[in-house]
Amino acid sequence: MPERIRHPPLDKEKMEQVQTEIHLIEDQCKGCGYCIEYCPRKVLEESNEINARGVHIPKVSDISKCIMCSFCTAVCPDFAIFVEEKPARKVKED
Amino acid sequence: MTEDQKQQSKQDEPRIGVYVCHCGLNIAGSVDCAEVAKFAATLPHVVLAQDNRYTCSDQGQAGIQKDIKEKKLNRVVVASCSPRLHEPTFRKTCEDAGLNKYLFEMANIREHCSWVHLYDRKAGTEKAKDLVKMAVAKATLLQPAEEIEVPITRKVLVIGGGVAGIQAALDLADTGYKVYLVEKEPSIGGMMARIDKTFPTMDCSICILAPKMSDIGHHPNVELLTNSEVSEVKGYIGNFHVKVLKKARYVTKDCTACGECVKVCPIVTANEFDVGLATRHGIYTPFAQAVPSTYIIDMNLCLNKDGVIVCDKCIKACERQAIKFEMKPEIQEMEVGTIVVATGADVFDPSVIPDYGYGKFPNVITSLEFERLINAGGPSGGHLIRPSDKQIPKRVAFIQCVGSRSEKTGKPYCSNVCCMNTIKDSLLIKEHWPDTEIYVFYVDIRAYGKGFEDLYKRARKEGVVFIRGLPAEIREDKRTHNLWLIGENTLKSELYRTNADMVILSIGLEARKDSETIQRLLTLSRNQDGFFLEAHPKLRPVDAATGGIFFAGCAESPKDIKDSVTQASAAAARAGILMAKGKVTVEAITPIPFPEKCKACGLCIKVCPYNALTLDKEKKRVTVIEAACGGCGTCAAECTFGALTQSHFTDEQIIAQIDAITEYDANKKTVAFCCNWCSYAGADFAGVSRMQYPAHARIIRTMCSGRVSIKFIERAFARGAAAVLVSGCHIGDCHYINANYQTQKRVERTWKKMEQNGLNKERLQLLWASAAEGEKFATKIREMQSIVENVKPEEIEKTQKVFEKALEGS
Repeated sequence: MPERIRHPPLDKEKMEQVQTEIHLIEDQCKGCGYCIEYCPRKVLEESNEINARGVHIPKVSDISKCIMCSFCTAVCPDFAIFVEEKPARKVKED
Repeated sequence: MTEDQKQQSKQDEPRIGVYVCHCGLNIAGSVDCAEVAKFAATLPHVVLAQDNRYTCSDQGQAGIQKDIKEKKLNRVVVASCSPRLHEPTFRKTCEDAGLNKYLFEMANIREHCSWVHLYDRKAGTEKAKDLVKMAVAKATLLQPAEEIEVPITRKVLVIGGGVAGIQAALDLADTGYKVYLVEKEPSIGGMMARIDKTFPTMDCSICILAPKMSDIGHHPNVELLTNSEVSEVKGYIGNFHVKVLKKARYVTKDCTACGECVKVCPIVTANEFDVGLATRHGIYTPFAQAVPSTYIIDMNLCLNKDGVIVCDKCIKACERQAIKFEMKPEIQEMEVGTIVVATGADVFDPSVIPDYGYGKFPNVITSLEFERLINAGGPSGGHLIRPSDKQIPKRVAFIQCVGSRSEKTGKPYCSNVCCMNTIKDSLLIKEHWPDTEIYVFYVDIRAYGKGFEDLYKRARKEGVVFIRGLPAEIREDKRTHNLWLIGENTLKSELYRTNADMVILSIGLEARKDSETIQRLLTLSRNQDGFFLEAHPKLRPVDAATGGIFFAGCAESPKDIKDSVTQASAAAARAGILMAKGKVTVEAITPIPFPEKCKACGLCIKVCPYNALTLDKEKKRVTVIEAACGGCGTCAAECTFGALTQSHFTDEQIIAQIDAITEYDANKKTVAFCCNWCSYAGADFAGVSRMQYPAHARIIRTMCSGRVSIKFIERAFARGAAAVLVSGCHIGDCHYINANYQTQKRVERTWKKMEQNGLNKERLQLLWASAAEGEKFATKIREMQSIVENVKPEEIEKTQKVFEKALEGS
């Protein structure tokens, strides 16, 4: 359909159904970048941080995009990354 | 006609009969027809010239037939209206009297003369004489010709699966023809499937459409191609070769639409079918009644979009194993005889009007969003709720003509459906929540159809308040998200400031954003509003100018469901007539090669838009595939060796017309070349609209501006013409695909030559004018008046010298 969508869906809460947390065992990461490369939603990016093995580890760029497919866990050669579902939605306090 | 007869008429001295028509007072009112006839009688080869009141009447035609037999006429010239109107009539008259129809010629002294020079009888009469002289000059050189027959494939392509496309496809399939129905979206149904109720009968829209959709799905003669787009169309009437790109659905026909896959799909996004008011998953069906019911995966969002199976939840959930991520887009090729264009319309996007705050204020919605909200199957289950707080509004305002009848938004036309749609919508609200206060702000209420006025009266009786005068501005109360409408009631001449809980913008319809693609693929024309242009607004309203193509529904202009269905059935009937006959004759205006002059350079083959010419390099011979030829004549104009000409528009005939114009007072005249489809029709339109312009121009009709060879322009100048006008369809709108690119090239080349020789290149004008742009044509002729008046005798002499070579061979 060609119309531009201007209003958010009335059931938009459905769009934010999964709340996830990505955990990284930092010193286990060897910086291969597979998780960044293969994440289908581009949730991860390279950080400036350097770990014990002297490589740039990945960091989360936008956690809201993650829908817990866990492909990062599947491709990680060093079992350094995994995803967990958050028990309840935390309200951000700024 | 037998070979003997052909020989005979070739050898015979031309015996021309000229008939000058009064057309009541349409011509006789500003042209002295008797004098024109008297003048015609003095022209060479004219054996008979007369004026009569209505030449096209039965009596008039019988007169011509009698003269053909008794006076042994072998050429006939009628000076009356446009050949676009009556050439077929008189051709038939001649044919019935035993004269080959290509021995008939017409002088257009109505649209191009009497109607545009209403108040200058003297100039009008002089111009009419010239036009008759040109026609006689051409008629002298006319040759009889035979038309070839082309078979028509008994299959049809319908583009667009809205209600119009569905109706056309069903009608044609029921008649017994094989139908390919191509739809871009994953399901057929189009706009009608999204509407809640239809006016004026308040039928449930999808309830009456769904049975038709399901008929399409089950019809043995219909091959339904959804999620597909036409990517290439080649060929001509009766023999189109079409390529359709079938995008991958990633779900096979084994899908039973059980919906288990949807439950596990992690992707959620806004559903386009509900204008984004509801959500859908990455694997989905756009709506419950979709045909085909097979689900589809949105590969832009699916986690597997990069070709790696990241997520296999749907694959696991599907018992039938219908999900196949390895599916690839396919190209399906088909041969069809006719094409129905039912591509529909888009809705106007009101966010371009900042004063109404659409997209900014949550409670300002469009009529399409309203349809989804009020629909029981829609995102709110049929409750009209405010997007801001999900409460049912107490005061609702409708604003009419949003994106219609407004120069400001570039949509000057009436969208036809919005008035009745609003009246229907207001009644729907009253039906569910009778206490709602409803205000309709309008410009004019157009309730013109059957049962429309009753519905309008009913709305008024139910207490819907109609206020004339659109709001100038909508303001929002930031706290409550209520809205204030500020404007002028033009009936009471007082300002209003009304508040409303919800505002519904009654948006207009506009041409599809991708209509340009369809236009290019099928070589169609569009009007200034962007909708496809029919061959004749009154008498051929569903035919495209391109043979074998027909229109249905909003692709041609905004219309309601009833009109769309009516037009679809009409288009089906028109396409059916062609296919039932099984053959069509091709006009004998194809190229004639002269092999002895051919140098086998291949230029003609390069410019042919239809690939209708082939070259045998060894034998130095060009062969014409008549059935593929569109008849533009660009090849003939490109040939510098005179080895190719166009039948019925030969070099000699056109040169004879140029010479006839420039015989006397050439320095006061403009030689104008107009293409049959756009600029000649535009000049006709100027006449029909009685746009007045000066009488210096004499129009020579060619099928395409691409027929105008450089030597014609040069000859006109060499004969002392004050100015030359070459005009054709807009670039991109050419009736012959792209032949007018050659026109541009040739005119530019002549300009260059003029500049190099120190001539004023303004004297050669190039105009792109569509059939609807009569005013543009008239303005050009008015502009050129000063060029014609100001050109000095020395300048004409100099031009004649520069181009004197063009006079050779006459």
